[in-house]
Amino acid sequence: MNAPNELAAVAGSARRVPTYCYQCVAGPDLLTVKVVDGIATEVEPNFCAAGIHPGHGKVCVKAYGLVQKTYHPNRVSSPMKRTNPRKGRHEDPGFVPISWDEALSIVADKLNAIRAQGLLDESGYPRVAASFGGAGTPQAYMGTFPAFLAAFGPMDMGFGSGQGVKCYHSEHLYGEYWHRAFIVAPDTPRTEYIISCGMNIEASGGVAGVARHADARIRGLKRVQVEPHLSVTGACSAEWIPIRPKTDAAFLFALMHVMLAAPRERLDIAFLAGHTASPYLVGPHGYFLRDPASRKPLLHDTRSGAAAPFDAPGATPALEGRYEADAIEIGPDDEVLAQGRLQGTTAFTLYAEHMAQYTPEWAQGVCEVPAATIRRIANEYLDHARVGETIVVDGVTLPFRPVAVTLGKTVNNGWGGYECVWARTMLAALVGALEVPGGTIGTTVRLNRTYNDRHKSVKAGLDGFMDYPLNPTDKARWKPKPNIRNAYRTMVPLAADGPWSQALGPTHFSWMFLDETPKGLPRVTLPDLWIVYRTNPAISFWDTPGLQEKMARFPFVVAFAFTRDETNHYADILLPEAGDLESLQLIRIGGTKYVEQFWDHAGFALRQPVVAPEGDVRDFTDIATELARRCGLTDKYVDAINRGIACVPLKVAGHDFSLPANQSPSCEAVWDAVCKAASAEVSEGREVHGLDWWREHGTMTHPYSQVEWFLYPTLERMNLRFELPYQERLQRVGAELGRRLHEHDMRWWDTQLLEYRALPEWHDFPGLWDEALRDAGAEPSDYPLWLLTARSMQYAWGGNMAMQLMKEVADNVTGHRGVIVNASTARRLGIEDGDEIELSVPHRTTRGRAVVREGIRPDTLLAIGQFEHWVTPFAKDIGNASLNSLAAMSLKLTDSTGSGCDVVRVRLARAGAKS
Amino acid sequence: MTRWAMVADLRRCVGCQTCTAACRHANATPPGVQWRRVLDVEVGEFPDVKRVFLPVGCQHCDEPPCLDVCPTTATRKRDDGIVTVDYDLCLGCGYCAVACPYQARHRTPRAVFAYGGAPAKHEAKRHDPARIAVATKCTFCVERIDSGTAQGLTPGVDPEATPACVNSCLSGALAFGDLDDPGSNVSQLLRENRHFRMHAELGTGPGFYYLWDKALPEAAQ
Repeated sequence: MNAPNELAAVAGSARRVPTYCYQCVAGPDLLTVKVVDGIATEVEPNFCAAGIHPGHGKVCVKAYGLVQKTYHPNRVSSPMKRTNPRKGRHEDPGFVPISWDEALSIVADKLNAIRAQGLLDESGYPRVAASFGGAGTPQAYMGTFPAFLAAFGPMDMGFGSGQGVKCYHSEHLYGEYWHRAFIVAPDTPRTEYIISCGMNIEASGGVAGVARHADARIRGLKRVQVEPHLSVTGACSAEWIPIRPKTDAAFLFALMHVMLAAPRERLDIAFLAGHTASPYLVGPHGYFLRDPASRKPLLHDTRSGAAAPFDAPGATPALEGRYEADAIEIGPDDEVLAQGRLQGTTAFTLYAEHMAQYTPEWAQGVCEVPAATIRRIANEYLDHARVGETIVVDGVTLPFRPVAVTLGKTVNNGWGGYECVWARTMLAALVGALEVPGGTIGTTVRLNRTYNDRHKSVKAGLDGFMDYPLNPTDKARWKPKPNIRNAYRTMVPLAADGPWSQALGPTHFSWMFLDETPKGLPRVTLPDLWIVYRTNPAISFWDTPGLQEKMARFPFVVAFAFTRDETNHYADILLPEAGDLESLQLIRIGGTKYVEQFWDHAGFALRQPVVAPEGDVRDFTDIATELARRCGLTDKYVDAINRGIACVPLKVAGHDFSLPANQSPSCEAVWDAVCKAASAEVSEGREVHGLDWWREHGTMTHPYSQVEWFLYPTLERMNLRFELPYQERLQRVGAELGRRLHEHDMRWWDTQLLEYRALPEWHDFPGLWDEALRDAGAEPSDYPLWLLTARSMQYAWGGNMAMQLMKEVADNVTGHRGVIVNASTARRLGIEDGDEIELSVPHRTTRGRAVVREGIRPDTLLAIGQFEHWVTPFAKDIGNASLNSLAAMSLKLTDSTGSGCDVVRVRLARAGAKS
Repeated sequence: MTRWAMVADLRRCVGCQTCTAACRHANATPPGVQWRRVLDVEVGEFPDVKRVFLPVGCQHCDEPPCLDVCPTTATRKRDDGIVTVDYDLCLGCGYCAVACPYQARHRTPRAVFAYGGAPAKHEAKRHDPARIAVATKCTFCVERIDSGTAQGLTPGVDPEATPACVNSCLSGALAFGDLDDPGSNVSQLLRENRHFRMHAELGTGPGFYYLWDKALPEAAQ
């Protein structure tokens, strides 16, 4: 157990207060805030936490904005209500201050009226909707509000804010499907070779990511960065390969081609045969051959020379070849496609034959990476794979495969995302580098339970694979009527149906379908009440002008507000919650989670009021408690807290800290009970510490073995196989989904259904953008440049665009002052560094400044971050162009998982005067 | 003797500017005044391009050009190598800013706050009128060093005695220590790695070293 002591008090009336920053998905960071005479003055790392934190206890640059955030002159400092009933970008909302009592009465009255009317509207959609910022980090700031949401009943969490469709979407869904990897990472401390397609880990990996990769570089890691522009990560890599946008699948396929052409002993045959479905026999219709009695998939046992069920004791499966077997082949909807003496081909053979077409020479023509480079990289990957070697981790001997492949945003989502994440996972499987030390591993689960332990989320399923909570597609159980507006349960089987699933559906559908709901779905309606917290979709989604026009139609919007912004411009009530340094909450830390968060410890950290609140703001827990009381939901609300929705169940390890359900608890009473339960959990019941102890110490953890970082031992223990390479189940699911949709005369998803292929194929993914332009009545050659975006470490997820310090330091990083343009392209168009430029798509134009650089392809432009604010104080004067205002919400550019990607074809011209 | 020096490992630095922000916090410098910052440098032509992040600031030179031109002796060099500015003596003439080849000197003619107008609470708390219209620059967080060493702490090892930028550095690129101590972290880093000093040809003797690769085997002996 590790409980860092509070840092020594500093001179005079100054003290240092431990707390956390979880503004982005690569947190949390543990920090201290120096407080002088009651005023927060400095953020510092919590040096006492250096021993438990994977980033040596350091604190991300974003956390240094928290002091300015606390004392920001434009904070919303009291509840406000709108006085102008007309909503629109050019309408002044006429916000006036009101009391908390009036604000909460207005909100509670609306909620109670909705409850009286019925929680679902005439289309069957929840009348109340809520949008929170990306990646679940707002939950680290909203106190017990999730308990209020749970007590209230159905809400539509599927409007999103850009997350869900602009995130690592295919990686989330397929990653979790194949290896419980909602997010994928290298085993950075041990890996020796990384192929990184667009993964900008030095900008998006947070403190842990930066520290782990820096240590690895000094150790000798070679990382090859494959992306159209030379990112921060490319700068820190051994090699930069400027690939053509959206062609990464071709590059990755060609790598596999080279590896499959190499002598087989260079691959991990034992892993493929024993721990994947490679030896499963595939029948003439493309589905597994199965034992007629047990219906288990068959493989060919080389010892007996006959087919055997996949789990036959003592069987030695043939990895490759074609064999006959007495079998049954079962297709969609349990249809028997064939039975009797059938010829089967091993999945691996089909895979190898399928990849034969994707030569490096072919790929060169697609992705513009020289064939020789592709061959060299494939062979370097094999050279570093150490097939056959083992390593001892915490006393456990495990395979050691120090090679990994990582994918970034726009590579691992939207069209081509499936192909890329499949190729990435297969590149690992080919050398046995999946979920083992040194290899490609997952960090967390969000669609499978339990969230806090990906190993416990592994349940045995059919066919020797892990179970996965696919939304059913069989005739009896498929749900033609969605539960929320984005229709994830109806359209996206892989999105599952848990608390996170709503935000992982096609969230843009909620907005798109407001204008025209496609055939077969109940008419998409406006929610009667929309709650917004820590998100600004009017800036962070696509088609932001169109989205704002729709927001103006929302009848009642409740926005928790730090400052005025472009989304709460349309709000009816603004509720200012106590800020990051002013409020109270306990969260889990450690274990493995999200981006590069691999800890040797696990436990909890407290966020506490460092200073007194500025203005008439309230702790989120107090707001939630009061809303529950006014809605007559206190008993359900407290029950949800007691059950653990606020971090940890209050009944734990021989202790019961449950709150009485018949009264509204104070904020301090809630977190005191949570703190006691958490300390009891960490210490297995030996220690109980209340809020006062946690205020002093900040964190409490126990050791967490690195063996837990790897899923392979769990699958091996449970005798389960990775569901690779052949996607028989997804092929079946796609076929069934197609039938269900067609039975309801829904044919607008037919293109997406084509993605459900057992063996992913290359399609002309870049060509989809040509088609989209033609559909818009434009000539593709008139919009020749690819506009991409990239994450800004200084801004991403932080909601900190109003912080002067963030802009000041971000401006030191190339691309934060404008759009990056290749120097030769700029010369050709008469553009000089700093010139005002115009970016156009059909029917829309935006402006920014040119940042002329060599480190970007001539056909590519890069607009870092998300800008074009027009309300948010300070941010509205920055003047940077944003991809979001040009990107369309497009069904054509939506893949089968319901995601798109941040890619826009544009025309570039100089505008205005020379700088 | 002691010679305090900074080491920046260019293989580690990711240009995140956390050191820049931490320095702004620790030293309460006004908006735009970055005693520590990281340059984002590009060399070559597409597709043969390299991008490098280069932490810069006062190099605490052995022969500081800023010292020689100072008409009031406000700029001095301590025995431990730290170059200081006495705000009471400084006229704000700006000669030092012109003389410094590292663009490390700043001068703020009037009080400036993050959002214009009045200072926010934290700014008001830390505003120091003595720094208006005088030359300012990185001090290697000399107060921390002096206070730390007085307590028996080791700069570069103990956070309370170490410059804020080093404490904050996410990638471990920045290190600080005593060059005259062969066992110090910076001495060890310089032995084990190839390095350079910026504009060393000018004879300034910077106390700021940049690592760029492992030392050749014979050099590391």
